[in-house]
Amino acid sequence: MSGDFKYYKVIEDVKYGRIQSATEATLAVLSATARYINEIDEVSKVREFLKQFFSEALEARPTNALLMNIARGVILTVKDALGSGDIVKVRKVFNEYYRTTVKRIKMTNDTIAQMAVNRIESGDRILTYSYSTIVMKALKLAKDEEKEIEIYVPESRPGLEGLNTAKELGNYGIPVVLFVDSAIRYFMKNVNKVFIGAEAIAANGAVISKVGASLVALAAHEARVNVFVLAPTLKFSPETIYGELVELLEKEPESFISTERMHKMGLRINDVFNVKVPMFDVTPPEYVDAIITERGLIAPQAVTFMLREIYGWPFQFAPIRKLLGD
Amino acid sequence: MRIPSKVIEIADDIKSMRIRGASRIAQAAALGLKISAECYTGNNVDDFIKYLTNVKEVLEKTRPTAVSLPNALSYVMSRVFKSRASGAGLRELIEVTIKAAEEFIEYSRTATRRIGEIGARRIRDGDVLLTHCNSSAALSIIIRAFEEGKDIKVYATETRPKFQGYITAKTLYEKGISVTLIPDSTVRLIMKKIDKVFVGADAVAANGAVVNKIGTSLIALAAQEARVNFFVAAETYKFSPITVIGELVEIEERSPLEVVSEEFLKTSKNITVRNPAFDVTPPEYIDAIITERGVIPPQAAIIVLKEEYGWALKDYMLKATLRVEESL
Repeated sequence: MSGDFKYYKVIEDVKYGRIQSATEATLAVLSATARYINEIDEVSKVREFLKQFFSEALEARPTNALLMNIARGVILTVKDALGSGDIVKVRKVFNEYYRTTVKRIKMTNDTIAQMAVNRIESGDRILTYSYSTIVMKALKLAKDEEKEIEIYVPESRPGLEGLNTAKELGNYGIPVVLFVDSAIRYFMKNVNKVFIGAEAIAANGAVISKVGASLVALAAHEARVNVFVLAPTLKFSPETIYGELVELLEKEPESFISTERMHKMGLRINDVFNVKVPMFDVTPPEYVDAIITERGLIAPQAVTFMLREIYGWPFQFAPIRKLLGD
Repeated sequence: MRIPSKVIEIADDIKSMRIRGASRIAQAAALGLKISAECYTGNNVDDFIKYLTNVKEVLEKTRPTAVSLPNALSYVMSRVFKSRASGAGLRELIEVTIKAAEEFIEYSRTATRRIGEIGARRIRDGDVLLTHCNSSAALSIIIRAFEEGKDIKVYATETRPKFQGYITAKTLYEKGISVTLIPDSTVRLIMKKIDKVFVGADAVAANGAVVNKIGTSLIALAAQEARVNFFVAAETYKFSPITVIGELVEIEERSPLEVVSEEFLKTSKNITVRNPAFDVTPPEYIDAIITERGVIPPQAAIIVLKEEYGWALKDYMLKATLRVEESL
């Protein structure tokens, strides 16, 4: 495994939030998988790698439904070829899957962005939270279509993803108002729409997203501001149909307050003092007006309907942990 | 008669922020009136009132936004005017001024402690509490409950942009009270674990709305959603009489450099950084305001204002009415 270190580096990047977006994290994992399969000749090693690598990737980001669905896709795709013991066959089926999946992710994101833009009117003041690849795409597209918009962006502590969002939009020529997360309710009166991305969507339509997103949705609900979640159906988590809870990760205290600063203040983490840095929270479906997917705009409560379209009725899919166990 | 130099000194100290903090400013202002009364050498009631009013105006102008300052002055002046209206002579008026000022200073000193005693009764053994920013009144409650032997656990928000939550965490930590520091964006997630929220106030308006550190209203909203009790700890001199005649409490916007670095501002385009220091929590999200006079529902703020600032209210109402008459 030590020789495989370069392939595993991406997992560290995902784990410590160096790769923020769920989409980018998944693409990075997929790309590392492609490198391994095309560089290593022994089929038995590939089999072991897939098992180990995907398990660790999912452990690093257990909320990432896209990653879970893609991992399932890879395993189901290469299963027979692995059984045949022929590396050429494995590469052929995998590379085909890899190419179409990357294309599919890109295309679904474009489709969603286009649908979201249909919901944007000139004069809209939109609040977005954290950094979402799809939301960025949609807002830039709105600008390209010469819709006059202004974007409100909370900084999104502790990762400060909001700063990247603000900068990128500003550079694109879109006016941005940046503020601290605490001012979300204060500024909610100024906006008329909220657009956020998702890490995963559960069977009941609950949205798992960067921590603070549920606070945004709550404040929007109070102010009667519409909340749109932009997410491909690949982010729907079929596992939750079987009642599996989505596991919410926590970040290292160091990502939030430096040890040096703590010590300077005379604070030490022990049984009296602690630091908690949750990464995600769950927005209940009643605070979401619509989820915009590549298959169309749906009420969050209709997620089950969409899952039925994809996985049939009764649902037929192999839970990822079971696949990795085999 | 000229204003005593010692009083001018106090005014300068407030202006230059050598004296700061809502309570200390209020106490210094009351002391200013007391010294003025003690130094009065004239022999005429009308002249004394004119002189004292002059002192009051000088002190009031030092920090126009701090609500505790005009309130401290009104506390004393209302008693002076009341005595005068009932026909008090000069000696008596001077005594009333000194007594009222001393009374204010004393009550200001004990108010925070009283709030602690009263508020601590709301805390049960085993409670998990949340607090925002760094409020001495809210901390007084939490610390008092702990000293009464109640087993409590506190979540403290870091409070961007200036991280006053660190000071709160440090204060509690040094007392041995279990405290966990969290990002402001996690309050809805954490709210499920919380039994009660305690925050302070920068101003309480006539309708019971509370002006406090930015983020307070968001926490109140999340508490309301989770049916967690939300308490505001506020001395009565933080209630704002001008709001009775419809005046708004001004929300101060501070420098963007508290939020982002100079480097970020220089290298970014089309970005406006806004940094409001306070927000307004509507009364319907507040279960009670804990004052040194007792626990009141926020909607009863007008009682505190009428009882504590009767004179000031009459004065404001009169001025407002005069303005209307002038315009006719």
